[in-house]
Amino acid sequence: MHTESDEDLVKRIASGDRLAMKVLFSRHQVRVYRFVLRLVRDETLAEDVIGDVFMDLWRQADRFEGRASVATWLLAIARNKAWSQLRKRRDAALDDDYAANIEDESDGPEIVLQKQDKGLAIRACLERLSAEHREVVDLVYYHETSVEETARIVGIPENTVKTRLFHARKKLGEMLKAAGIDRGWP
Amino acid sequence: MTDSVASDPKRRELEELLPFYANGRIAAADRARIEAALAADADLAARLEIIRDDMAETVLLNERLGAPSPRVLDRLLAGIEAQAQPAPLLTRATDGLGKGFIGWLGGLLAAQAPRRLAYAGACAAALIVLQGVAITGLALRDAGGGYRTASAPGSHATERYVLLSFAPEARAGEIAAFFKRFDASVVDGPRANGFFKVRVGDASLSDAQVDAIAARMKAESGIVSFVAAAP
Repeated sequence: MHTESDEDLVKRIASGDRLAMKVLFSRHQVRVYRFVLRLVRDETLAEDVIGDVFMDLWRQADRFEGRASVATWLLAIARNKAWSQLRKRRDAALDDDYAANIEDESDGPEIVLQKQDKGLAIRACLERLSAEHREVVDLVYYHETSVEETARIVGIPENTVKTRLFHARKKLGEMLKAAGIDRGWP
Repeated sequence: MTDSVASDPKRRELEELLPFYANGRIAAADRARIEAALAADADLAARLEIIRDDMAETVLLNERLGAPSPRVLDRLLAGIEAQAQPAPLLTRATDGLGKGFIGWLGGLLAAQAPRRLAYAGACAAALIVLQGVAITGLALRDAGGGYRTASAPGSHATERYVLLSFAPEARAGEIAAFFKRFDASVVDGPRANGFFKVRVGDASLSDAQVDAIAARMKAESGIVSFVAAAP
C-alpha cells in the first residue's frame, strides 16, 4: 500500500485539506504527546499543548520549507510550547501531582533497589533528571534524533547537545550510584 | 576519581558520540571511527553498554505513557472549522454587494428577518455536519477501517506485549524457534536501536503473567539481550 510522505501531507494541509491533517495528526500525535508529557508532567496540559502544536501546523503549513523533517519541525514547535507552559506553571505542586500518579516509578531509587530491579531503578532516576536533561535523553534515546535534529529541536548548538547529553548521562550514573548501583562510571 | 575518558580530548569526543552510535543516527565516517575505538578501548565499550541499558529503559518509560485522548483531535478539528471559514465569506459577501450572484445573495439575506435567518443557518449547519459524517465515514472506510499511528502500530488494548532486543550472536533459526516456543510475534520494529515490540498473548494475561513470560525470555540470554513488559 502506498503511504503518503509527511512532506506531501503538509503540502495538502497547506491547501486546506482536512483529511491530510487527520492523517498527519494520527501519525505523529503519540510521539509528540509523550515528548510534551515528559516535560510538563501533566496529561491535560500535554493534550492542550499538542492541540496547539497541530493548530500551528494547520496555520503555518505553507511556510514549511523542508529543511528539517516534519517530525523534527513538530517536536521543535512542541518543545517551545511545552517550555512556555513550564515557565508559567513551574511550581512544586505540579511535580508533586505528577509523582503521585506514577506507581512503581514514583519510588525513589533506593526503594526500587530494594525491589532488586535495576531497570526500575534506572527509570526512577530518569524521572528525576532535570527537564533540560530529560528532553535531550528522551530525544536521543526514544525519539532517535541525530545531533543536528536535537540541536534544531532544542535550539542549541550541536556541541552543546553532546555536552548536555554527557552531563545528563553522568548525572544519571551519579543518582544510581547514590542508590547503591555502581556501573563503573562516573 | 579522575575520568580517564573525559580527560582525554580524543576519547571524550568519541565518547560523546556513543549515544548517536547506539541510536543509529550517526555519519558513516564517525561510525567507523567509533567501531575502531571500541575494539581497542574497554572503557569506551563499557560506556556503550551503559548507554544501551539507559536507552532500553528510556524507551520503556516513554512507551508506558500511553496516548492522548480522542478529544484532542475533536477539539483540533473544531478549532480549524471555527477559524477557517467566516472571515473570507464575510469579506467576499461585503465586497460583492450589488455585484452579480454574491451581491444578489447578500441583498436577499439582508432582507430576511433574523429568526428566519437563524432557522436557515441551523439547517445549513446540520447539512454540513451530515456531509462531514458521510465523508469522514467514507474516508475512514477507504483507509482500511481507521488510522494507525506510525509510532505505535498495531497497539491496541486487546493484546499484551514485551519490548526486546536480540543478542548479537543469535541466529535466524534460533530466533524463529524462540518465537514459536513463546507463541509470540513481532508487531513493531526493529527500531534503529534494535528493539522490537513483540506480542506475547491477548488481554486476558495479567501483568504478573506477562512479567513471567518476560522473565522466561530473559533467561534465554543466548537469543535475547533485553526483555521487559511493554504497554
